[in-house]
Amino acid sequence: MEGKIIVVTSGKGGVGKTTTTSAIGAALALEGNRVAIVDMDIGLRNLDVVMGLENRIVFNIVDVVQQKCKIEQAAIRDRRIENLFLIPASQSDNKDVLSTAGIERVAEDLRKQFDYIIMDSPAGIERGFENSIVGASEALVVCTPDVSAVRDADRVIGILYSRSLTPKLIVNRIEPGRVKRGEMLSHEDVMDVLAIELAGLVPMDDKVLISSNTGTPLVLQNDSKAGQAFKRIARRLNGEADLPFEAPTDRSSMWGKISRTFGLR
Amino acid sequence: MLSGLLKRFTRQKTKSKDEAKKRLQFSLIYDKLDLNDTILMDLQNDIVDVISKYFEIDKQSLELKVKRDDNVSALVFNTPILQVRRRRA
Ligand SMILES: Nc1ncnc2c1ncn2[C@@H]1O[C@H](COP(=O)(O)OP(=O)(O)O)[C@@H](O)[C@H]1O
Ligand SMILES: [Mg+2]
Repeated sequence: MEGKIIVVTSGKGGVGKTTTTSAIGAALALEGNRVAIVDMDIGLRNLDVVMGLENRIVFNIVDVVQQKCKIEQAAIRDRRIENLFLIPASQSDNKDVLSTAGIERVAEDLRKQFDYIIMDSPAGIERGFENSIVGASEALVVCTPDVSAVRDADRVIGILYSRSLTPKLIVNRIEPGRVKRGEMLSHEDVMDVLAIELAGLVPMDDKVLISSNTGTPLVLQNDSKAGQAFKRIARRLNGEADLPFEAPTDRSSMWGKISRTFGLR
Repeated sequence: MLSGLLKRFTRQKTKSKDEAKKRLQFSLIYDKLDLNDTILMDLQNDIVDVISKYFEIDKQSLELKVKRDDNVSALVFNTPILQVRRRRA
């Protein structure tokens, strides 16, 4: 097996990296891939609670890098979705003990065991971020349609390019009503500014918080618009590169729907 | 027609997102220039090399700067030309 390592990053915190990582990881597993999701937010682990696996942690990624345990011992198998595994972060702030060589070795082992390895990066552009991109061959930059997230995304994109990674963009928490009223940057605006290729568009969706409250996978909720959007991103990553992008629409706006249907706008 | 009417009712005086976009476009350019003083210097040297093939220029009084107004930001390279070089066939 020669798996792909994809890093999910953003610069700014709270824009949806962890949400994206868990949703895309789950969706890729549902498509029949063997997937490992790795929490690289050392000292501030979250992926485990978002995925509802917090009670089953024994070892963590720091243990694996330091060769205190094997990958198989640290990887927690998700019981709801087949072939989905989580390697949690440690909860003590010991990211500085991770050597680049150690991470590279683990990355190589992970590639042998999984089809996809998704790295959930911490916010910022410091050591923890650097650690999370070490083994990556692909990068997803998550950003919300606001000035600070876009600016931080631009900074991160620059760094990724300098590491020979060509990132793709996920615009998250899009509120179609506000976009329509001109209160919020549209995904086109964000793409104009950042000038990178799109990976997908994800709407603001109350189901995201609810699914993290209960630790259930978002992508198993068929009535979640964000969940469906993440599924489409996963399909694009998984070979369907040409799957068209769908700009989120406002459910409440009947007129918008009608006029779009008839091609009036 | 109807949609035009609706738009008129819902139109805002200023679209804040347009302002956001413009400000971002500017600040991203500036962020990069700030970060890369050496790149700016390299660029200046390269430009001088190219122009010097065609003109003799006053290297002391040239300037490379970023100009910014409401709609565009531009890289402006200003140099007095002392003499046009003859090019050999
Ligand atoms: N598409 C979305 N719709 C609604 N809430 C979202 C969406 N994406 C993320 N969130 C919420 O935003 C918060 C931050 O998300 P998270 O994934 O933890 O960000 P990060 O990992 O970048 O810090 C969480 O409370 C999450 O539930
Ligand atoms: Mg996170």
